[in-house]
Amino acid sequence: METILLKNIENPNSADIDEYIKAGGYRSLQKAIEMQPKAIIDEVKKSGLRGRGGAGFPTGMKWTFASSDPKTPRYLLCNADEGEPGTFKDRPILEKNPHLLIEGMAIAGYAIGAEYGYIYLRGEYPGAKDILDTAIRQAYDRGLLGDNILGRAVRFHLSVHQGAGAYICGEETALIESLEGERGQPRIKPPFPVNVGAWSKPTVINNVETLSNIPYIIETGAEAYSKIGSRDCPGPKLYCVSGHVERPGVYELPMGINLRDIIYTHAGGIRGGEKLKAVIPGGVSTPILPPDKIDCPMDFVNMPKHGSMLGSGAVMVFDDTVCLVKVCYRALRFFDHESCGKCTPCREGTGWLSNILGRIEHGKGRDGDIELLLDVAGNMLGKTFCPLGDGAASVVQNFIRHFRPEFEGHIRDAGCRLQN
Amino acid sequence: MITVTINGKDIKLEKPVTILEAARTAGIEIPTLCYHESLELYGGCRLCLVEVEKMPKLQTACTLYVTDGMVVRTESEQIADARRGILEFLLINHPLDCPYCDKAGECDLQDLVEKYGPTAGRFAEGKRKHPESFDDPIIVRNMERCVMCTRCVRMCDGVQGDSAIAVTNRGSHSFIEPFSGGRYNCEYCGNCLTVCPVGAIMSRLHRHSYRAWLVETEVNTVCSYCGVGCSMVIQVRNNSINRVVPRFGLGINNGLLCVRGRFGYDYVGNEQRIKSPLVKKGGKLEPVTWNEAFNTVADRLKALRERYGGSALAGIASGRCTNEENYVFQKLMRCGLGTNNIDSSARLGYSGAQRYLENIFGQGVTANPIYGIANSEAILIVGGDPTAINPILGLQIRTASRNGARVITIGYAPGLERFNSIGLKPRIFTEGILLSGILCEILKIKPFTGENQTLESVIKGLSLRPAREIAEICRLAEDDIRKAAEAICNVSSISIVIGQDIIQRSNGNRNLFMLSSIGYMLNARMTLLSERPNEQGTIDMGCLPDMLPGGRPLEIETFRKRYEGLAGTEIPSGPGLTLMEMVEAAEAGQIKAMYIMGENPVFNLPDSNAVKKALGSLEFLVVQDIFLSETAKIADVVLPALAWSEKEGTYTNLERRMQHVRRAVDIQGMEDWRIISEIGKRLEVSMPYNSSEDIMAEMVRVSPLHTGLTYEDVDKGNALWPYKGEPLRAEMPSLSLSDENIIADKGKLYLMVRRPLFHSGTLSRRSYALNNICSEPYLRISRAVAERLSVKDGDVLKVSTVKGSLQVKTKVDISLNDSAVLLTNNFEGMGAFSLLGYKLDPVTKAPGIEGTEVTIEKGKPR
Repeated sequence: METILLKNIENPNSADIDEYIKAGGYRSLQKAIEMQPKAIIDEVKKSGLRGRGGAGFPTGMKWTFASSDPKTPRYLLCNADEGEPGTFKDRPILEKNPHLLIEGMAIAGYAIGAEYGYIYLRGEYPGAKDILDTAIRQAYDRGLLGDNILGRAVRFHLSVHQGAGAYICGEETALIESLEGERGQPRIKPPFPVNVGAWSKPTVINNVETLSNIPYIIETGAEAYSKIGSRDCPGPKLYCVSGHVERPGVYELPMGINLRDIIYTHAGGIRGGEKLKAVIPGGVSTPILPPDKIDCPMDFVNMPKHGSMLGSGAVMVFDDTVCLVKVCYRALRFFDHESCGKCTPCREGTGWLSNILGRIEHGKGRDGDIELLLDVAGNMLGKTFCPLGDGAASVVQNFIRHFRPEFEGHIRDAGCRLQN
Repeated sequence: MITVTINGKDIKLEKPVTILEAARTAGIEIPTLCYHESLELYGGCRLCLVEVEKMPKLQTACTLYVTDGMVVRTESEQIADARRGILEFLLINHPLDCPYCDKAGECDLQDLVEKYGPTAGRFAEGKRKHPESFDDPIIVRNMERCVMCTRCVRMCDGVQGDSAIAVTNRGSHSFIEPFSGGRYNCEYCGNCLTVCPVGAIMSRLHRHSYRAWLVETEVNTVCSYCGVGCSMVIQVRNNSINRVVPRFGLGINNGLLCVRGRFGYDYVGNEQRIKSPLVKKGGKLEPVTWNEAFNTVADRLKALRERYGGSALAGIASGRCTNEENYVFQKLMRCGLGTNNIDSSARLGYSGAQRYLENIFGQGVTANPIYGIANSEAILIVGGDPTAINPILGLQIRTASRNGARVITIGYAPGLERFNSIGLKPRIFTEGILLSGILCEILKIKPFTGENQTLESVIKGLSLRPAREIAEICRLAEDDIRKAAEAICNVSSISIVIGQDIIQRSNGNRNLFMLSSIGYMLNARMTLLSERPNEQGTIDMGCLPDMLPGGRPLEIETFRKRYEGLAGTEIPSGPGLTLMEMVEAAEAGQIKAMYIMGENPVFNLPDSNAVKKALGSLEFLVVQDIFLSETAKIADVVLPALAWSEKEGTYTNLERRMQHVRRAVDIQGMEDWRIISEIGKRLEVSMPYNSSEDIMAEMVRVSPLHTGLTYEDVDKGNALWPYKGEPLRAEMPSLSLSDENIIADKGKLYLMVRRPLFHSGTLSRRSYALNNICSEPYLRISRAVAERLSVKDGDVLKVSTVKGSLQVKTKVDISLNDSAVLLTNNFEGMGAFSLLGYKLDPVTKAPGIEGTEVTIEKGKPR
C-alpha cells in the first residue's frame, strides 16, 4: 500500500523542507488556497475523515461548526499531546514528517478562517520541539506561513506550545486551559471549543494524524481518499504496536484492518513464539481483549461491537509471561498520578482503586477486594467530569471481566505466581 | 417559554437556566458542594447528579441547561446511590474530626452525609495527611477537610479579584494554598471563609469558642467602618460577639465583606474601653459618677456661654455616630449652646466636595447606587484607591472591568492596577491639570447641550491647554490623555469616582470643577468615596456650620424660622466655623470650649501637633468616645459612649441609603444620644427621648428631606435619597475657581497620606485581628527612591518635614510616583498628619495638604 502519512520517512532528511517539496509537498496548500474555504471543508466532509485522537468525530463537521461561528479571531490547535500509554503514532509525523502536519494545518487554517495556529506538543517530546521549530521557520522563510501565504492575502501563523507533562492536557478543553496559561483542567461542555474555545473564540482542535490526512485529501480528492479503508471510516491509520511482538513499531495500514493481522502479519507475531495472553487495542483506556476476541476490524465503528474501542490505535500485546494484575495496577497508578483532581470520583476513586490493586499485587489482597474494586469503579463510571475517570474505572472492570481468576489467584495465593 | 418537568412538577421558564436553578425556583433542593450562585460554574463535586430522560448517564444539574420538554428527576434510588458513592469518595481521606471541627453543625458535607450516607467506611488504607496550617494569624487552613470544591479559589479569583490562592499539585494530592506560602499576602477579605462549605478554611478569631448551634441571637446590622454600609449579621452568645458574617442576598454587599468589616469588629471588646466618666481634677482624669460628669459639663458650658457668648463654643460631630446622635448633637449645639460652630471630619473631603458638586448639579447628585458602578461602561477614578478606602465599592469597579468596562485611574490606585484599561500616573500634584486636559479633549468630541448655561459659560471661559502641553506638565504620553478622553466619551453609562486625595488640596475646588465639567459633558454619575460609615448622616442631620437638618441653608430665613419654631428656641443666624477654622480659632483664643463627639482631632487632623496645642489651650474640652483617644487624654471631661454594636440607630451611606444599625450586645453605658440629652436637659433644651426611634420621630418633622420616615421604612429599604422627603431646588450660585498651582518637584520628595485597606485609625488599632494582619505603619517609597537611598523593605527610615520627624520602617511600592512618599495616619505616634501642614481650600474648606517637602534618611534600627 502507498504510504500517505509516513511517506518518505525512510529518507534521513525527511524533515527538511526541500526533501518534502521534492517529494511533492506543499502542492496541496497551493491547490487549497486557490479553492474557496467552504469547498475545502466540503471536500473534507465528503472524504469521511474522522478525528484520529480517539473519539472519531467527523473532522469536516467540526470545521463547519467553527467556521460558521461569527466570532473572530478563530484558532486552530493541533493536539500533539500524545500521552495515552502505549501511544507513539504521532511521533514519526512530528519528528520525520513535520511539513506534512504544517501543510495540513495551513490548509485547515485557511478553510476555517483561523489566522493563528498552535501545536500543543507533549512535554516529553523535546526532540520534536526542535524539529517542528526548524520546520516552521523554514515554512515561514518560503512564504508558506505568515501574512501572505504563497503571495496571496492569506494569513496563518503557527507556533509550538510545549506542555508540561500532564496527561489531562490531551483532553481538548484542558489543553485550551493549559495553552491559555491556566491550570490544566477540563472545562464544562457545552459550549464546545468550536464555539467557545481558546480565549473564548471558535477553535478547532485536531489530532496530529488527522491534520496530516488533509494534504492528501486535497491533492487526490475526497473520492479517492474515501476508497481507502473501511466504508464508514475511511483513510489510512497509524497503528503503533508495542509489547511482546517480533517487530514493534508504527504501521500505516488502512482503517479497519483486522487486529489479528496487525499483530501476526505486520508485527511478526508474538515474540519468541510465546502464547498470546491479551491485547489492549487502542491505548490503555480502551478495554482489554483476550486472545479469542482479536478478530475484529480496527476502526471507530466496528471495535465497539467487539467489546473494545479503536482509541488511539495503540496496540499493546501481552504474552503469557505477563501478570495482568500488575498491568492493571500500573495502569491505575498512571491514572491516579494523572487525574487532575477537578472532580470527586476521579480524584479520589483512581487513588483508591490503585491502592486496592497495589495490595492485591503485593500479596495483601483480602476477600471481597474484587467486589470492592468493581463497586468503586461503578461509583466512578459515568459520574466523572471527563473521560479520564471513566477510562480508569473501565480498565478495572474489563480486566476483571476477562481475567478474574488471575485476580482471585493473587488474593488466594497472597501474591503472583508468574513472578515468584 | 420553556417548560421543564422536574419530579413531575411542570416549571415554566422565560429563559434557559440550569436544571439546578430551575429546580430552586420551584423549591426543589438539589444537593451541591462546588456550586455557588455568586461564582463561576465548576461542575466538579458531582453531587448534583440527576436523571434526565433520554440521556443515558446521570447529568450534573448545575451545568446542564434546561430545554423545552426536558423531564428531570432529582431523587431516585440510582441518584441516591450515586450521591452516596460520591460522598464516600469525599470521606475516604477526610479526617472525620467533626467533634472538634468548628464547622460542625453548619457543614455542608456533614449534612449531606447525614442525608445520603455512607454510614460505614470501606477505605482500609492510610488517609492522606496534611497538617493544619497555623502560619497565618487569622486564617487557618485544614486541607484534610478540604473537598476541593475550589469555591475559595473562584471567589478569590473571580469575585474579589485578588488571585491570592490557588490549587497546588494534582489529583488526590491537590490542596489549596496562598501563592505566598503559609501566610497569606492578600487583601484578607475573608470571602473565602464565607464560601468554604466545610471546615477547611476557617477564622482563628473564634476558633473553638462556639458551636454553630450555640449561637443565641443573630442580629442584622450594618458595618461600622466605611461609607459603603455593608450589611452583616452579628452572631452573639453570652452577650458577646462570636463572629460577624455576611449573607448572600442581604444588603449592597451581597455576601461579601472586606477585611475591616469581617475581622475588625473585635475593637468593641477591647479592654481599653473607657468604663466610667472621667473629670479632670488636679490635672488628672478621675472617674466620677455620670451625674457629676453631666453637671460639670452643663455648668461649665453654661458659664462659658454666658461669659463669652455662643460663638466661643464649638462642637465636632462624628461620622461614626448614628444619624440620631448627630441630630441630637447639632440640636444641643444650636439650641443649648447658641452656636452654629458645628462640623465633623466629613469636612476633610466628603462634605465640602459634595456641597461643591451639589451647587452645580443640585442636591443629591452623589446619591447614586453602588451597584450602578458595576454596570457602567466606563469608570473614571481619581484621588484614591476605592479598593482600599471603600473596598466593596472597589469590587464593583473590578466587576465592571471584568464585564469589559473601560476603567481609567488617575494617580495612585494599586488595587485597580490589574483592572484598569488606562492607568495615568501624572507627576505629583498635577491631577487637576491632567483633568483639564481630558476635559479639553472631551470638548473636541462632545457638544454643549445648553442645559446648564452658567457652567457652560465658565467652561468656555477657561483657557485650556492643548494635550501636548498637558502631557509635558504631567509627564505623560500625549496619546494616553487622548485615549482616556475617548474611552469615556464613546460610551453611554459613565461613573466618576472621587477620592479625598484630590479634594485635600488648597485648590481642590479647581479639581472638583474639572471633574464636574467632565461629568456634565458626559452625563456621568458621581460617587464620592467616604471613609466613615455615616459621613453623609452628619451632613443630612445638619452637623454643618451653615446647614440645618435636611440640607436647608441656615441663612435662608424661612428655614431658620421653621427650625426655631420646632425647637422653641432662637438660634444664631450667621454661619459658624468649619472644622479647621474651629481649630485655628481655638489657637487664636476665640473658641474657648469644645464638645467633641466620637472624633479624635488631635490625631486625625493635619498638623496634628498644632491641633493638640490648640485644643490644649481651651478653657474647657469635652470628649465623648469609646476609647481614651489622643484627644480624650487632654480633655477636661471624658464621657464613655457605646460602640456600634451596642446601640440602635441609623447610618446613611455614601449612596445616601439609610440603614438600620442594631444593638447586638448589652453593656453598661450610655448611647451618645442619651449622654447628650442628659446634658441638654440640664441646659433646658427639650430632649424627651427614650429611644433612638423617638429622635427619628422628631428629626423627620424637622428635616424636610426625611418627612414621615420611620424605622419600618428603613428596614424595608425605602430610605433611599431623598428619604421620602423633598430636596431643595436652588439656583446655582456663581462659581469661583482657584488658580492652577504647579509645585516644582525637581528632585524633591513630598509626603502624602496613604489610606490603607487594613486600618481606619482609632478603632482599627484596637482590633486584635487587624493589628495581627498589619501591625505597624510603613513609609512607602518608590523603587527609584529606594535605589537612590539604597534601602530595602523593612529598613528603618527617619522621615522629617518642617512639622517634625519620626522613624518608620519602609516598603518599596512599585505603584508609586517617584516624587511621593506615603505614610498612613493610623498608628499611635506614627501618623502622617503629625508631619503635614495644610492650607485651606477657600471654597470647600477642606485642608489642602499638598506640597509638604520631606527628607528621608536611614534611621537607627528600633
